[in-house]
Amino acid sequence: MKLRNKKGWVPAVAVGTTLILALSGCSAGTSGGTSGGGKDTIKIGVLATSEGNLAFGMDEAKAAIGVAMQAIGGTIDGGEINGKKIELVYAGTDGTSGTAQTQVKKLVENDGVDIVFGPVSGDEGEAVVQYALTVPEVTFVNGSASPVAMTLQGATNFFRFHGDSAMWMGGLGEYAYKTKGYKKIYSIAEDYSFPYDNAGGFFSGYCAAGGQVTGNSWVPVGTTDYGTIISQIPAGTDAVYVGLGGADAASFLSQAVTAGIKLPLVGGSIAVDTTALSGDANIKAVAVGTITGGPVPGVGYKNPMWQPFVDAYVKQPKAFPSPSIFSILYYNSFESLILGLQQAKGDLSNKQSALRDALGGLSWDSPTGRISMDSNRQAIVDNFLIEVQAAADGSLEQKTVSEATAVKQGTTVYDRFEGCPKS
Amino acid sequence: MTQQVDRVSTSKPLWARYSWIGWVIVVGIAVAFPFVVDRPRFWLPNIGVRSLWLGIIAMSLVFLNRYVGLLSLAQATIAGISAYGVGYAMVTMGLGFFVAVATGIVAGTVAGFLVALIAARTKAIYFLMITLALGQVFYSYASQAIEVTNARRGLAPIKKPDLGFVNLNDITTFYFFVLALAVLCYLLCRYVAATSFGLALQGIRDSPERMAALGYRVNRYRIGAITFAAFIASIGGVVLVLDRAQVDPDVVSLGSTLDILVVAVIGGIGSLGGVFLGALVLTFLDNFAQDFTDRYQSLTGVVFIIVLLFAPAGIAGIGKQVKRVIDRRRKELSFFSVGDPQQEPPAAQSAEEAITKGKQQ
Repeated sequence: MKLRNKKGWVPAVAVGTTLILALSGCSAGTSGGTSGGGKDTIKIGVLATSEGNLAFGMDEAKAAIGVAMQAIGGTIDGGEINGKKIELVYAGTDGTSGTAQTQVKKLVENDGVDIVFGPVSGDEGEAVVQYALTVPEVTFVNGSASPVAMTLQGATNFFRFHGDSAMWMGGLGEYAYKTKGYKKIYSIAEDYSFPYDNAGGFFSGYCAAGGQVTGNSWVPVGTTDYGTIISQIPAGTDAVYVGLGGADAASFLSQAVTAGIKLPLVGGSIAVDTTALSGDANIKAVAVGTITGGPVPGVGYKNPMWQPFVDAYVKQPKAFPSPSIFSILYYNSFESLILGLQQAKGDLSNKQSALRDALGGLSWDSPTGRISMDSNRQAIVDNFLIEVQAAADGSLEQKTVSEATAVKQGTTVYDRFEGCPKS
Repeated sequence: MTQQVDRVSTSKPLWARYSWIGWVIVVGIAVAFPFVVDRPRFWLPNIGVRSLWLGIIAMSLVFLNRYVGLLSLAQATIAGISAYGVGYAMVTMGLGFFVAVATGIVAGTVAGFLVALIAARTKAIYFLMITLALGQVFYSYASQAIEVTNARRGLAPIKKPDLGFVNLNDITTFYFFVLALAVLCYLLCRYVAATSFGLALQGIRDSPERMAALGYRVNRYRIGAITFAAFIASIGGVVLVLDRAQVDPDVVSLGSTLDILVVAVIGGIGSLGGVFLGALVLTFLDNFAQDFTDRYQSLTGVVFIIVLLFAPAGIAGIGKQVKRVIDRRRKELSFFSVGDPQQEPPAAQSAEEAITKGKQQ
């Protein structure tokens, strides 16, 4: 037996100090200069996911920024606006709030950016807004994070140029009740904040139109067995709301086929994406006819701004065959930022007031419809009502069946609810 | 046992007797840190404070491993429970700073005690798996218990107070506050390890059967040690939540658990103070690895593997490693020069070697 009381500390301290100094030396080269209002360079820090489940977020962000910057003769690394040099600095995250906090602080305090652009995920968004409250001298433009509460925190330096996750369902509730005739709906949704907002957005409109909710099942993320829940759906229910995403949605659709479910479906904004629709060849029986809402237009969308955007997007390095929700939201947001900088003539003096006034009063026609701003610096946007249909080649496609124009943000941050949500 | 302690203390080599000089240098660097960095608003929170709370939490893991021979993966969870305790008291109940901090520390320590009741009878890989599983159970709970944790949105804002005589909103003041806590936690761990309780723990680590035969209630000692480590982790959790100004399930995720393990291994799984070096390495990698590669987490993994391969006792163990190599060389040289075929009997395996080679009881 040997009792522990001393260590080889002197050599360890020497080695550790050397290591720290070496790392400090590495880091010193990365430190950017602070560029205040009177300087000729505007530094924009881009926050996007480069690790984790959403690791493709950085590529999508760069593709979106590439489209916007190339339109003004720049690149993803920078360009020029009104004689001011634009410099872009990128910081990758893993989609978690902790990493987002670390990286946004690094962008602002070490790289000295004037504007932060991003982040991708909702968890990150909540953290970035809290940080924005502590650095009022920096302007923040959201990337694709969609929690309702982000623009209701009183951060006057924070702007969001796309809808929140409740707005993404704007108009769908009324459409389901009046056009589709679903008088009673049963809800199955994942048990976390995004589905709360998303389902809240749908059911607030649906209940206001006169619809009834026959029950709510909130399931943990990663649930694979939906047989028990499907068997609980009461008789007399006209449709089932599916607030699931990714593999959970694919599992549900597959088991709905097995259970012989005959009811039509109403999908949350991520319920009938490519992952779910390509999961099982037999799901066509239940997936066809599913309606959903979101910021991404489907097949048949008529907007003269849309196709030029798609054409420019697919030419970007590492772009997907068609724009994802992330590239669309990042593009609309970054183009808004460029328009704001142009209107402010690149002037960031006086606590960036000219830029913030320009951003707050912005109104322009984006590839997905008109974007204007409300008093909370939250965009008023068009929303798309989508129906899953069988394409001529037998595959499943999402067709735009209706548009809800000028959807405004509500003031309700939704929690888990039973029946209709409280507004 | 007392004789052994005496023997160890009197036979200390010269450099070990003056190891306090190393500590003075370390504390001196830490104290000078805010005054030598060019951007304190970046360096103090992102590197300084974060390294300190990561180090405090990892220290609780190292305490258990070094003195009890138990590798716990619940320390990040316990720190997270403490952070949630502070958040719940401040945000949900609207209580004051001191009450909230006390709530957090009590919540974390009690959670550690409960973990100990479940896991203390197990050992080695089973203890590790149970603590990991309990951590994941709490992660699921925190992600969904909207009434308590506000689910994924978490609890915010958690503001640092201005206490009048000291304003923790000032980043330099907050840094020194956390540095003082880290030093106190270290000294407390060393003190506890030197008490009869700590010596009994070391005995239990090396031979629980022998200690039980001597009349020690092994499981009670283990429960006491795990609860004490939870207290240390809870202090780290309080600092964490004050630094981040919010608490959400991310703080108790598997990623956070692995961060603590990486910090402990890189710093030195058998070294209470080495964890701060490990924490510094991790925070540097988190902040600057992207300057070298887009896949910054992969770089962290590579560093982790390199440390495991070439310095299994961590950065803090490099000194001993170098000394061992030098001693071996000297012996080889003296063997060839004197030609004495008599060999010393092999030294008994040190506890550190036992730990790093997996001899957990």
